Amino acid sequence: MKSNGSKDTTFKVQRYNPEKDTSPYFDIFVVPTTRGMTVLDALLYIKENLDNTLAFRTSCRMAICGSCGMLINHYPHLACHTQIEELRTKTVTIQPLPNLPVIKDLVVDLAPLFEKHKSVKPYIIRSDTAEMDNPSAEFAQSPEELENFLQFTYCIKCGICISACPTSATDELFLGPQALAQCYRYCADTRDHGEQERLPRVDSENGVWHCHLAGACSDACPKGVDPALAIQLLKRRLVVRATKIAKEKGPAPVVSPPTYIKPKLPFPEFTAGRNAATTEG
Amino acid sequence: MKNTYLWLAQLVAGILVAVTLSIHMVWMHLDTILGALGIDIKEPTSWTSMLARSREIIWATLYIALLTFGLYHALYGLRNVIFELAKSPIARRVVTWTILTLGILALAWGTYVPIVLLRS
Repeated sequence: MKSNGSKDTTFKVQRYNPEKDTSPYFDIFVVPTTRGMTVLDALLYIKENLDNTLAFRTSCRMAICGSCGMLINHYPHLACHTQIEELRTKTVTIQPLPNLPVIKDLVVDLAPLFEKHKSVKPYIIRSDTAEMDNPSAEFAQSPEELENFLQFTYCIKCGICISACPTSATDELFLGPQALAQCYRYCADTRDHGEQERLPRVDSENGVWHCHLAGACSDACPKGVDPALAIQLLKRRLVVRATKIAKEKGPAPVVSPPTYIKPKLPFPEFTAGRNAATTEG
Repeated sequence: MKNTYLWLAQLVAGILVAVTLSIHMVWMHLDTILGALGIDIKEPTSWTSMLARSREIIWATLYIALLTFGLYHALYGLRNVIFELAKSPIARRVVTWTILTLGILALAWGTYVPIVLLRS
């Protein structure tokens, strides 16, 4: 421990520039770290003070944008969401996320993730296009109906679930936990009526039936989303649809305008003078 | 929905394997308990008992059913495992047809014996 309260931590960072290098290698950096400092802070320190050629992706610094996903001590984390102290090691190994192609150093190509995400049509699909284009009111959805899929809306598309998934590691065609969870998120949304368009994509050889149910995606998700649960629920949805054991429901209707509005309570008498003064003022 | 039906069939086959195999195991190895319950089986693992069972239609049906469910459950699982290695559609088609042929051959071979015994 130094006089300013910092201590030296060694960072073993994987480097790879496909234009120059034939294979990845590790660079060692010693960074003075303090309590509360995140791995992202250390990477920024390295870039600003030790090696400005180090490439990594970052944006919000508060686990919202999903840019800084990387393999920290051989486990996928968000760099901005991982404090160095909580790793409890003197050497921190940082590598790019596995199961995704590396662009440079710690930057991976997230295009396969977004392509698979797009393929499950992650948006509300309804037949009443006129209402969708010019909405007259909101669609009716109860808090209980919202609760069915709410946690899956917290996905930040960081790719951590895909890098943790053993099936994605062996089969790059597998849709992956992110896309499958988002497929469920929209199918379970009562405002949506696009299940028929979405389900053929997941009911494929590379879709939902290919999941080994390892649950690594749910363990690794930095936002607490449970994609493994979504995959199981999606399987149930497919079976229910195939066996026709439940009646198909239509999409949530548009909420009709209120017929009665409860009048506001009058101001108590003792505030009357104060209200008048405020109005005059 | 094709893959849903195939997966559902594997699930149902798994349950049916457990049921048919349990009947076989109980009959073969728990004869003492069955005897105590009033079901008298004399030496269920002997050659003569096996031959006698094979000549009963109910046992022949049970063993053919066990073979069918077991083969489907195992071979569909094997196909899924191989699909992770065989990624092109042509390779996957070859895998499917090879496994299907193997399954049919194994089923034909396995059902031949009980059917012949049943007729004898």
